[in-house]
Amino acid sequence: MLQKSKLTLRDGTSLDDLIKRESNEVSLRVMTDEELYHLEMDKIFAKTWLLLGHESEIPNSGDFIVRDMAEDNVIVARDREGNVNVSLNVCPHRGMRVCLGEAGNKPIHQCVYHGWAFKPNGDFIGAPVEREKMHGNDVDKATLGLKKAKVALYGGMIFATWNVDGPSFDEYLGDIKYYLDQLFCRTDNGLELLGPPQRFVLPCNWKVPGEQSGSDGFHTLTLHRSLMEGGVMGGTAESIYDQAPGMYGVDVSCEQGHSLRCLEAEKTFKMFADVPFEGKSTRERLELLTPPGITKEMIPELFNNLSEDQVEQLATIPPQVGGMFPNILIAFIFAPRTDGGASGALSLHTYVPKGPDKVEFVNFIFAEKDAPEQMKRDMLQNAVWNTGTSGMIEQDDADVWPVIMKNARGGVSKDVTLKYQALHGHERPEGWKGDGLLYPGFTKDDTQWNWWMAYYDLMDEV
Amino acid sequence: MTWETKSTAAPDSTTIIRGLVSAKRVPLGSEIYNRLLETLYDEAAALDERRFDDWVAMLTEDLVYQAPIRLTRTGPNRDRDVMRTMFHFDEDYGSIQMRTGRLEKSAWAEDPPSRCRRFVTNVRIGECDAAGEYEVVSYLFLERSRGDSPDNESATAERRDVWREVDGAYKLSRREIIVDQSVLGMSNFAVFL
Repeated sequence: MLQKSKLTLRDGTSLDDLIKRESNEVSLRVMTDEELYHLEMDKIFAKTWLLLGHESEIPNSGDFIVRDMAEDNVIVARDREGNVNVSLNVCPHRGMRVCLGEAGNKPIHQCVYHGWAFKPNGDFIGAPVEREKMHGNDVDKATLGLKKAKVALYGGMIFATWNVDGPSFDEYLGDIKYYLDQLFCRTDNGLELLGPPQRFVLPCNWKVPGEQSGSDGFHTLTLHRSLMEGGVMGGTAESIYDQAPGMYGVDVSCEQGHSLRCLEAEKTFKMFADVPFEGKSTRERLELLTPPGITKEMIPELFNNLSEDQVEQLATIPPQVGGMFPNILIAFIFAPRTDGGASGALSLHTYVPKGPDKVEFVNFIFAEKDAPEQMKRDMLQNAVWNTGTSGMIEQDDADVWPVIMKNARGGVSKDVTLKYQALHGHERPEGWKGDGLLYPGFTKDDTQWNWWMAYYDLMDEV
Repeated sequence: MTWETKSTAAPDSTTIIRGLVSAKRVPLGSEIYNRLLETLYDEAAALDERRFDDWVAMLTEDLVYQAPIRLTRTGPNRDRDVMRTMFHFDEDYGSIQMRTGRLEKSAWAEDPPSRCRRFVTNVRIGECDAAGEYEVVSYLFLERSRGDSPDNESATAERRDVWREVDGAYKLSRREIIVDQSVLGMSNFAVFL
């Protein structure tokens, strides 16, 4: 018997009425409920680690970018010591934004309203007309800094949390780190962001794209049918459901709600290089099918940065798509180019809540810092063609989500449930080296259900 | 094409260029101006009416079609707000064909299709250095009606084009779409601008 949720909404609805753990269902009402949204701001977005950008966006002392942690606007700035700081972009004097630009370089951030000034690390410097003590007669300056978030860097990516005493970044990652390393921490000089993110707003709740980022593999066959029609995923338009390309692999997940879909390189990339892996060593496999985004010359770097087991997995059955709880999608795509070649694309999205019925889609596009210029150029173009604003894959997602949102408003429709009843159950494939919750075979609902359970656990915390 | 990554924060990652560059103006009301204006109207109609083959026939095979993103900047760099390091569209002739080809199959983003009106105004034209090529700058106001929503989605942009005279007609060989929003209010660009 599961313990009852401690969370009850004002109208008496329990979290258990909305997220039905016994039958693996979630009521559509979770997408529209305003009270739930405000609780999420406190219990999720003020508690978990959130992705804000990449170190390569602010290489120099004084460099800054402005980003959002849900509806809280923050300054992400590098100080003179070289550290990355994240502080609330709200002047503690009268609540104005201290920083009005989205990016630049400033040794001092001065509020345009009354002129209070702050260091890149958020510390209060002073208010104008120092002799008049306009910051208060007996107030200690040390208490007047911008509110600071705790920062963690991972593969150069900047994460922050308001939960200063909460789980460490490694605890937040859990068992998924082993797999994420293969994408983000595999070369000597790491990734760089190719430009500031694409940003656009969709009229839907953040959880509509959020639950999909829990590795919904199944939708690809139907919603992204044009991939098969265009030959991008292998298979043909007539045989999509028979062959089910890209559906078989190993889905990995963890109780923190993160997940990734690992697909066999030999099968996935068959249309680019039809080479059997049987009897081949890890190194030979890497030479035959070099992971998208790196060059053959960079292969030795993989062994510098990853364990033998991690490299073997990357060469054989690499993680390709997935997400990190609560609002990150990871898409590592390999697709043909119009010039006859093929290129990888690495995009991360954050789905930033902007109200119960609005979400900002932020699309970060990466390449390896040491990749040749042409490879970076190709990675950028492939990411733009397939993901984000105009992406031929994701424009279809952006079309579906607002419609689900519309449905969630109906008095009757709101009680319809999202169903996660196609479950495989944890099963460790033979010879599998990584940890976590493992689901081999056809992609099922397990990882998305784990996403909802991570949501449930945080919402249930008092 | 060479490519050098620049950081988001770097002032030189943004550039100011917009508007008409050519000093050799094609005057409003002249024959060439009128023909190019008519071509822009024909192009808008082809896109609004979803006649994509007609539209692709108006493009040259060396097409470069890009929509850089905009950034809000302050101080000395306040006008350097066009980010030519990241794009909403980053297309060539082949990728445009890939996109229009997809629209004829299972592209749910435009099936059912949105109903679009492209309003093209403020057209300014200059001669390029190459004979028969014209720099055409226009404003675009796109209104897009989707499904049963009574609220249109919209986008405004400046388009900096190069049109080339080929066999008595003008073809688009370069378009830079400078959208005004740093955060787009349109939920995707499954339509062309």
